[in-house]
Amino acid sequence: MLVATRALARRAPASSLRVAHLSTASALEAESERFSIYNPTEEHVALRQMVRSFAEQEVDPQRAEYNEKEQFNRALFARCGELGLLGVTADESCGGSGMDAVAACVVHEELSAADPAFALSYLAHSMLYVNNVNLNASEDQKRRWLPGACDGSKVCAMAMSEPGAGTDVLGMRTAAVDAGDHYVLNGSKMWITNGCVDSETLGDGALVYARTGPGRADVSLFHVGPENPGFSLGQRITGKLGMRASPTAELVFEDCVVPKEDLVSEWNGAALCMMRNLELERVVLAAMAVGIAKRCVDRMGKYAAERVAFGRPIAEFGQMQRHVAEGYAKLMAARAYLYATAVDLDLTSTGNRLDTDGVKLFATTVAKEVADAAIQVHGGYGYVAEYQVEQLWRDAKLLEIGGGTLESHHKNMIRDLAEGLPPGV
Amino acid sequence: MRVLVGVKRVIDYAVRVRVAGDKSGVELANVKMSMNPFCEIACEEAIQLKEKKVASEVVAVSIGPKQAQETLRSALAMGCDRAIHVATDLRLDQELNPLAVARLLAKVVADEQPDLVIVGKQSIDGDNGTTGPMLAELLGWSQATFAAKFDVAGDGATAEVERETDTGTEVVKVKLPTVLTADLRLNTPRYPKLPNIMKAKKKPLESKDAADYGVDLAPSIVVEAVASPEARAAGITVDSVDTLVDKLKNEAAVI
Repeated sequence: MLVATRALARRAPASSLRVAHLSTASALEAESERFSIYNPTEEHVALRQMVRSFAEQEVDPQRAEYNEKEQFNRALFARCGELGLLGVTADESCGGSGMDAVAACVVHEELSAADPAFALSYLAHSMLYVNNVNLNASEDQKRRWLPGACDGSKVCAMAMSEPGAGTDVLGMRTAAVDAGDHYVLNGSKMWITNGCVDSETLGDGALVYARTGPGRADVSLFHVGPENPGFSLGQRITGKLGMRASPTAELVFEDCVVPKEDLVSEWNGAALCMMRNLELERVVLAAMAVGIAKRCVDRMGKYAAERVAFGRPIAEFGQMQRHVAEGYAKLMAARAYLYATAVDLDLTSTGNRLDTDGVKLFATTVAKEVADAAIQVHGGYGYVAEYQVEQLWRDAKLLEIGGGTLESHHKNMIRDLAEGLPPGV
Repeated sequence: MRVLVGVKRVIDYAVRVRVAGDKSGVELANVKMSMNPFCEIACEEAIQLKEKKVASEVVAVSIGPKQAQETLRSALAMGCDRAIHVATDLRLDQELNPLAVARLLAKVVADEQPDLVIVGKQSIDGDNGTTGPMLAELLGWSQATFAAKFDVAGDGATAEVERETDTGTEVVKVKLPTVLTADLRLNTPRYPKLPNIMKAKKKPLESKDAADYGVDLAPSIVVEAVASPEARAAGITVDSVDTLVDKLKNEAAVI
């Protein structure tokens, strides 16, 4: 055998091809990889490493293009299916991985640091649809709907809000009636992430809440898809402040026919489905907020070290130090609250309202504030797309509204905190 | 055919390495550790051989402290079938020398009887690049180092290996069993899929004590001290080409 003639040590291991420029600050990096409340088991460590590498190599590079074009990256979504991320909490028998709320937070945190808009579509599909089906649907329905949703061939959604009903969700007016051998659905749903995949095309499946009785909580849950007659795309909502790579739709139901076997859970029994899923939704939205804040702290720390003013790196100025240091402390407080809440969140239970509301209340505002500080540290450069922080700032604002406004969290939390308050709205 | 893959736990490629205060080596405490990138490539190649039905079983082996089991779990999550941990507390980057590693691996080969051993061409901590060749020598097997492409012949008796050299791509034919060392362009390692991460926990991982192999593990090379490269002094700005030429001639003495 011939002796190798070339220099032995070409020190460019395969992994160095992986983009290293966005590895987080070393303090964040080290604690993220060890067993800790953020990664309670070996599987969580492995999951975080996998999602972080995927986010760095495949999610981050597409962010600017897809957000600028307001386009959903379906190919990237399919990659999430291949990697098994779409069914993170779903049963293994249906194509999922049966993991817990902490695992769901890990995925959302890492994806959101790279592209919150893509992460939002991931959330709508894997949490609001897949996890909801997994918890609330029958075995037969799970077998029909979950494999395609877990492998990434289908892009799905959950529809609750309406043009005239948001926080007041039980004020919904979309209604369904029993027409004997099928149900008939009428009304419209608004702000539905993944309700469409582009301006003309509906998503592949949606769980739709509709009023089915005279009582305020008489709502039922239906599964619909583009194949259901009378279901159409009202409009793709464009011109959003942020979350632009995530498609948002108004869905319209005009005498929409839903087969009997596509009622999920009990007739008039969807309030429980809704509450169970909302708790997880709030926690993973908080995880997205933590991802945003983490990326912002990383970006502003690096920029403060590089940028020189008055002959010194701006990190030497107290005003900048305050932005970076307070940003980090807020991030870590939010992160600790997040994982402390997630580790106790049994996906099959309800009654975790106080802290699921509390963590979203706290973390989403942290994300917005830290993104704002990051823009400030970047100065003029922070205001343009190249440095990512302006997108993070715009995307962060949605988290104070979607999945429960800050005000809805106040309203919910006071029920648990003000003892003896008579039951009300 | 059975494939044995050697994987090593090293400081993550992206970590900025620091020298310990006492100059005994680089700092290992609270540093992110990962599978050596070339070992990832070795794993990937073995798993691809299994997917192509060339290999029937892929066994990962790692020598090191208890945490080397995490590295083995990564290999199992990528798709290896089972794992062997050879436990030692010697520092992998400077106390456990390549010859000791090769001797231990030769013992594991004797136990496992693989038809092919794949290792990385080098680890990014010690940078020795000698474990694979030493192992082949100890076993009396052929070796194909710095592999950029690997194809087993239909009869399973030989394999064709492409090696990238400074003068071009070299194609060699080796008899099996052989030791293959993986270079950068052999393949692109996959991410472990989430369901496979979950399955990895249930795959067999056997732990053995390195001392039980009856191999001399004492280092033949002892690291006396490790120091950071000296910081470069700041440059100066000269005001004219004449000054520059003068300084290059008289101060730096390079022209």
